[in-house]
Amino acid sequence: MTRLIRKAASLAAAASLAFTAFGAIAQTVKVGIIGPFSGPFAHYGTLFKNGAEAYIASQGGKLAGKDVELIYRDTGGPNPGQTKTLVQELIVKDKVDYLGGFVFTPNAFAVAPLIQQSQTPTVIFNAATSAITDKSEFFIRTSYTLWQVTVPLAQWAAKNHIKKVVTAVTDYGPGIDAETAWKSEFTKQGGTVVESIRMPISTADFAPFVQRIKASGAQAVYTFLPGGPPNLGFVKAYNENGLAKAGIQFLGTAETDEFDLQKFGDAALGLTTAFHYSAAHDAPANKKFIEALKKRDPNAVANYASVGAWDGMYVIHKMIEATDGKKDGLKAIAAARSLQWESPRGPVRIDPKTRHIVQNVYLRKVEKVGGLLVNKEVQSFGPQIDYGLDR
Amino acid sequence: MTTSDAPTAICRAPRCAPPWRLPAIVLLIGVAAWWLMPEQLGLLTRIAFMALLVLSLDLVVGVAGLATLGHTALFGIGAYAAGIFALRVHPDPTLGLLMGTAAGAVLAAASGAFLLRYSGFTFLMLTIAVAQITASLAQKARDWTGGDDGLSGFTMAPLFGRFAFDMEGRTAALYALGVLVVGLYVARRVVDSPFGLAVRGIHENRARMAALGTPVIARLLAMYTLAGALAGAAGAVSAQTSAIVGLDSLSFAVSAEALVMLILGGAGRLHGALIGAVVFTLLHHTASSINPYHWLFVVGAALMLVVLVPPRKAWDRLRARFAFLGGKASASARETA
Amino acid sequence: MQLLANVLIDGLAYGMVLFIIAAGLSVTLGLMRFVNLSHGAFAMIGGYLAAMLTREAQWSFWLALPLAVVATGALGALLEALVLRHLYRRSELDQVLFTIGLTFFLIAATNALAGPQVQLIVLPPFLAQSVDLGFRTLPVQRLFVIGVGLLVAVVAAFAVTRTRFGVWLRAAVDHAETAATLGVPVRTVQCACFAIGAALAGLGGVLGAELMPLEPYYALKYLVLVLVVVAVGGMGSLLGSLVAGITLGIVETASKYLASEWGSLFFFLAMAVLLAWRPQGLLRRGAA
Repeated sequence: MTRLIRKAASLAAAASLAFTAFGAIAQTVKVGIIGPFSGPFAHYGTLFKNGAEAYIASQGGKLAGKDVELIYRDTGGPNPGQTKTLVQELIVKDKVDYLGGFVFTPNAFAVAPLIQQSQTPTVIFNAATSAITDKSEFFIRTSYTLWQVTVPLAQWAAKNHIKKVVTAVTDYGPGIDAETAWKSEFTKQGGTVVESIRMPISTADFAPFVQRIKASGAQAVYTFLPGGPPNLGFVKAYNENGLAKAGIQFLGTAETDEFDLQKFGDAALGLTTAFHYSAAHDAPANKKFIEALKKRDPNAVANYASVGAWDGMYVIHKMIEATDGKKDGLKAIAAARSLQWESPRGPVRIDPKTRHIVQNVYLRKVEKVGGLLVNKEVQSFGPQIDYGLDR
Repeated sequence: MTTSDAPTAICRAPRCAPPWRLPAIVLLIGVAAWWLMPEQLGLLTRIAFMALLVLSLDLVVGVAGLATLGHTALFGIGAYAAGIFALRVHPDPTLGLLMGTAAGAVLAAASGAFLLRYSGFTFLMLTIAVAQITASLAQKARDWTGGDDGLSGFTMAPLFGRFAFDMEGRTAALYALGVLVVGLYVARRVVDSPFGLAVRGIHENRARMAALGTPVIARLLAMYTLAGALAGAAGAVSAQTSAIVGLDSLSFAVSAEALVMLILGGAGRLHGALIGAVVFTLLHHTASSINPYHWLFVVGAALMLVVLVPPRKAWDRLRARFAFLGGKASASARETA
Repeated sequence: MQLLANVLIDGLAYGMVLFIIAAGLSVTLGLMRFVNLSHGAFAMIGGYLAAMLTREAQWSFWLALPLAVVATGALGALLEALVLRHLYRRSELDQVLFTIGLTFFLIAATNALAGPQVQLIVLPPFLAQSVDLGFRTLPVQRLFVIGVGLLVAVVAAFAVTRTRFGVWLRAAVDHAETAATLGVPVRTVQCACFAIGAALAGLGGVLGAELMPLEPYYALKYLVLVLVVVAVGGMGSLLGSLVAGITLGIVETASKYLASEWGSLFFFLAMAVLLAWRPQGLLRRGAA
């Protein structure tokens, strides 16, 4: 019996030695990706996956010479309690070195104390409320904020003789940011906001709101909705209820997102938006990005979410480089603060003070190119910072 | 059933096990899990407060016989009460827990006074209405609840002044477990008491109980209020251990999931609630991490299976099969609902 | 004045969609005493079939719609005959749980087969255009929905009160055993009833696709709304479902116009008030 025990013990010891040795040689960097992989916003999960994995493939399968393991966790939707449990497990059990992803603001808020305490650098691929990066010094954002894209649009509208605008936003963090940003900048430029409509996040039928917009007497409607069904529903309601014909111009940000764009049909032609990424952006970096995406999955869509993941992985890549694959949150963030690079969207850099991406915002109009609808960049507003954190 | 052992022969429908037995077993298993799986404490905490929620639902559905799909309101209001209390008044966890429990009890008493006038399908639909109205109010009161962004930014003070809520979740897990055990003890005592028997009687035959002189609505309301208190406590624990409260704690999905957990485990005997909560949460966790898309296949199939082959029947059949292992089997096979 | 007209038109359209879907559930719930919570899934399946046919197979809407409706009805008949009829004698809770499990399963299946995105139905140019009624422009599709709703109500009322099938139906519900002894083919009636209910749900799913986007969670999301309409209208009463659907549709639309930050509060408040006033529903069974 004792011989058996001794044999088992030595086997176990040998096995554990082998594992640690193996582990030391093939040092894998673990990155947890948090996003919705089920439910009505599941497309975000796929977009993140495609963008992130395409980036790693484009770098030859390793980042800074290290193997990278992406661990995906499904939050389902805005589900802060569940997100916190998942991230806690990722940090404590899976011992991830970095976190990425985050579509919804409440989910990001929920994990702030965890990443702060564990010093885990977290790159936000999508969530757009300005206040997020304030909650922890380990948040870096490669998406955008509503202030960032709204301020230049408001300035443009004022310059183009639009005096009266009605805002229609979804009643949640980014939506309220959008409304506040528009009101603040547009009134500063001399315009008036005749009405501010807030739409519940669960709205499916936008006709009542669109009728209110029509009745408001404004020259244009500035709007923000989350991507997916709300976006689609609102733009369709705008078209079907004859708002363009009634002379109310559409001013948006992410509403003509490439993911749903083709579904609008010709009714979407001419819609004006201000945003930081268009798949039609004419630059070599963008061509490379789209090629890498299509190689991974010919059906992959190049839009702000997949480019957010692509650039997010770039930042993680640089952080791995700076820390030589070891977990050192403070060193990684310090290195990330000074990053500057040519992204598929244009030239970008990380603002060292706010840890938010500074990028070009473009004015786009929807046009038909080669039988497909695209967001044609008509004008560049130049590099924009996150005005929401400046106040 | 012989007449000579009169005191023990009273126990027919509800078992007369000592009330501390089940809580003690749960405590032992919980602490063992806490000890052996220090990396899964977040999951353990979630299982604990979900079990408390399903337990409170069992009091309403299993014991009192009132099918409700609005239980989430009681859970959510406990969560928000504890969260708002921690944010604006004092971050002490035990005070917050009391607030959450009280909030749940108050809402249960207030809504119960209206709801219990109705029964059956009407009652069910009205519970849905109450829950949805509560959710709409919480969403409107953005300044208090944070609306769709959730209530965050509060940090809990150390429990009893000594045990801080650490990142690994050690304190949180034991705290949640502790609240579950206490709640379970209270539930056990109440259900096995004459009051509990009266409520069971109302479940079985309302008219007969009324003919016996039992104030039916008053008894049901008392049970509903107790269930509300426990649900509120569960909500408070969920708010305090995750330091965030989202509108999802008031969503219809919580009510539906709790009901599913209860039925999977078996309603009416309290331990079924715990089993259902544990099994469902573990299933959800494992299935979601393997493939988040196809989790609903699993739960859908499980539900259909459970209805076609009810767990109690299966359990009894299994016991009958292994009757030769112990004499208790034949007795429990005769055990009625 | 414009506001009132807007609320009435949009409310009526929304109410009609709710009625068409709820009609089937009211029938199975009230006339057959079977709690079928997978009803929302039938609406979803009808919508998805129409979406697939018009988009992928490029069929005309006018062909796709009847085919989707008939196919959903056939699926309902199949399900009823093979699986659900064994549950008629089970308790309400068992029926609820089984049908919810079935719904979850169908949601996962839809997700697996068609993906999680919203499905769009390609409307024919006639319906997709907008008509200018002077005081407002609205898509013709809305008027179509209102029209179809009224047609369904009339045809259903006629069928239940004036045809032999309607007589059989009411007899089978009142007392199945007696009806059987009198030669009423009870099983056939039950199956046909369920199939028609499912077909109506499918119709509602297709017509309501603009107001209630088709995505895998559709089956659960809108189930609550439909249950509310059935409860308020009275189980088994088609006229009740119509009145309840229109009333609640108008209340919900009005609250969207006037008090959108309150969400669905007024819808559920109205529902609670109506149910408290008439716990058995506005018009109890048989008043079709």
